[in-house]
Amino acid sequence: MSRKEELLNWLKEKLKGDLLAEDVSREKCLFIDIKKEALIETAQLLLSRGARYQVGVGYDARKSGQGLAMVHTFAFDSDALLVAIRAYTPEDKPEFDSLTPTLPGAGWSEREYIDLLGLHFNNHPNPKRLILSDDWPEGIYPLRQEVPYDLMPPAAEDVAFRLDEAPPGSSIIPFGPFHACLHEPAHFAVYVDGEEIKGCEYRGFMVHRGIEKLAATELTYSEIPFVAERICGICGSVHSVNYAQAVESAAELKISRRAEFIRTVMLEIERLHSHLLWLGVAGHLIGFDTVFMQAWRIREKIMWLAESLTGNRKTYGIVIIGGVRRDINREKAGQIKKILGEVEKDMLALEKAIVKDKAIHRRTRDVGYLSKEKAIEWSLVGPVARARGLAIDARKDHPYAAYDEVKFDVQVADSCDVWGTLVVRVKEVYEAISIINQCLEKLALIPENSPLAVELEGPIPAGRQGLSVVEAPRGEVVHYLLTGDDNRPERWRVRAPTYPNLQAVPDMLLNNRLADFPIIVGSIDPCFSCTDRVVVIDRKSASGKILSQQELENLSRKMRSKS
Amino acid sequence: MWIWNKIKQLAISSRTGVVTLRYPFKPRPAPAGFRGQPVWDHTKCIGCAGCASNCPARTIFLRDICQEIRILLYDSSRCTYCGRCADLCPEKAITMSDNFELATDSRQDITQTIELFMMTCQRCGRCYDLEIKNYLDKLQSLGYRYDSLEVRKVIRQSTAEFETDLLEKTATYGRPEKLEK
Repeated sequence: MSRKEELLNWLKEKLKGDLLAEDVSREKCLFIDIKKEALIETAQLLLSRGARYQVGVGYDARKSGQGLAMVHTFAFDSDALLVAIRAYTPEDKPEFDSLTPTLPGAGWSEREYIDLLGLHFNNHPNPKRLILSDDWPEGIYPLRQEVPYDLMPPAAEDVAFRLDEAPPGSSIIPFGPFHACLHEPAHFAVYVDGEEIKGCEYRGFMVHRGIEKLAATELTYSEIPFVAERICGICGSVHSVNYAQAVESAAELKISRRAEFIRTVMLEIERLHSHLLWLGVAGHLIGFDTVFMQAWRIREKIMWLAESLTGNRKTYGIVIIGGVRRDINREKAGQIKKILGEVEKDMLALEKAIVKDKAIHRRTRDVGYLSKEKAIEWSLVGPVARARGLAIDARKDHPYAAYDEVKFDVQVADSCDVWGTLVVRVKEVYEAISIINQCLEKLALIPENSPLAVELEGPIPAGRQGLSVVEAPRGEVVHYLLTGDDNRPERWRVRAPTYPNLQAVPDMLLNNRLADFPIIVGSIDPCFSCTDRVVVIDRKSASGKILSQQELENLSRKMRSKS
Repeated sequence: MWIWNKIKQLAISSRTGVVTLRYPFKPRPAPAGFRGQPVWDHTKCIGCAGCASNCPARTIFLRDICQEIRILLYDSSRCTYCGRCADLCPEKAITMSDNFELATDSRQDITQTIELFMMTCQRCGRCYDLEIKNYLDKLQSLGYRYDSLEVRKVIRQSTAEFETDLLEKTATYGRPEKLEK
């Protein structure tokens, strides 16, 4: 009996009548429908058997007469098994019990559907607005079917996000929303006592563009890969591969081995450039620009390599449903090997030159400390989790594409700080080079004229679920897909690695110095933003007043003339 | 000793020297297979609308101005250069050129328009065969969608308010059903 059947039987026994339906047809996935009253119990049962929480997905299921639906997905990393539990709630009483008190990592997933679907979660500790802009009108829920994808309600003045009150005795330093050096806006209200950080509140999602809604109303299955890879400017190929895998899983389409190897090569090339980019940015954030310049010099070779392989530096556009668009022939394989050799040599030289530099050690050791237990509690993923002793890696745990055939080690560090993240990511550069070389050798054994893409036979049936994970350079990416009519998915949910990792940032920041804020936030590889205005907080009453630019100038002139 | 590290860093930096290209002054040719500006060959185009109906960014538009003239318009301003049009073109009338220097003051510079003289198949003889396996049917099964020049703005600037009839319109807004094979 496989692990999946055993788990299902155990759940059936425990839940009895609360388990309504199951779908075991998909390899490596288990989809179950439960009564909504049993949601917390099921989640606790799964957690007690070592599951890791991934993401919550809400969608509008009124078309099929089932009200609103909420799906929670879990991963059993040691068994290569993904489990999705789904419950429905009627439209007139859209309520679920909140998972967040038991599972803090579910906090955002639930807040998201308070905003987007109008769900209500009982006992949610912090049901604040997460995704929608502050002036979005109440009562319009964008993911509901009657709302058009391009609805733009008129902007409202005088509406602002209500930040929580700072703990007594601390002041607020706002970081954000815009900063010149990184790519995403976000706002952090950091509570400080002197130089020490005492907490932080995050307000982000300022670049939420409704790509999932667009996919469910406008695009078609075969157009989405090209939009999906524009979700992220660094790990675009990850999203298009993951989306294609989710569709292929839902349609039970088996793609050719050659295409799987080519996807693996492109994913690893992307990992190389992303790790080098991050290394450079991390160096830049701690004021060590030699690392920045040299890492990006090495990275540029990889960008040119990707350009000659796929036709573009970054948005490769190589993945389609059923396979890939371009081949890697013998000549190109030789070119890749040559460039990887150079990159490995350069990287070793750079590593030797910086590994004992005091500047790096002093700025990264014991900075952003988060214990292993906390990392499990927040369900961290990627290098951030591996730096905390958690050996989770979707490439190893849930092999996809051609990863089942290549040999590599999951790099783990146990220092639980930014230094650990740095070590893990540098080591993974060498692993990625070795994986690509192995893939190229195996690729040479597959006949060159074997097909690159498999065609779908007939339309994809509606109402089927697909779930897929891919290890992006920053961590695990989850794509959940529910097929629909009209040649497009009914629901497509993307969970990027920053989603769980960013939720743990307030914990990582605790008791660190304000000067380490950029590198701690940067260590999870999102973006951070810098101060654009100062809020003066009265320590006793904690009431705030925002200074205008003029007031700030006057204040600083006054200070200067005094000294 | 960390001082050795500093010396090594100096060595790396001085050994590598300047790697920045003198790009605008010295042209850097794009590699083979680069996906630059797509170029239409009007002598090959048969006006099948395959590119228009499969463009993920919706930058290719078609309009029949009379029985016999069809206009194809490519508006590069929102193009993502994915090259999907060139892949799908049954007559290979689209090539992804190596031209990437497309910054311009005027949108007209990067817009391409083709006027196509459409005939019935008996007369032109090269459009497509009328068997079930023809290209049009194949494209239709991939999600054919007819875009008109009038609704060129796929991304609307603003819907001034939340109107109920707008909602009703969007509820019925869809593409033709897929053809059964």
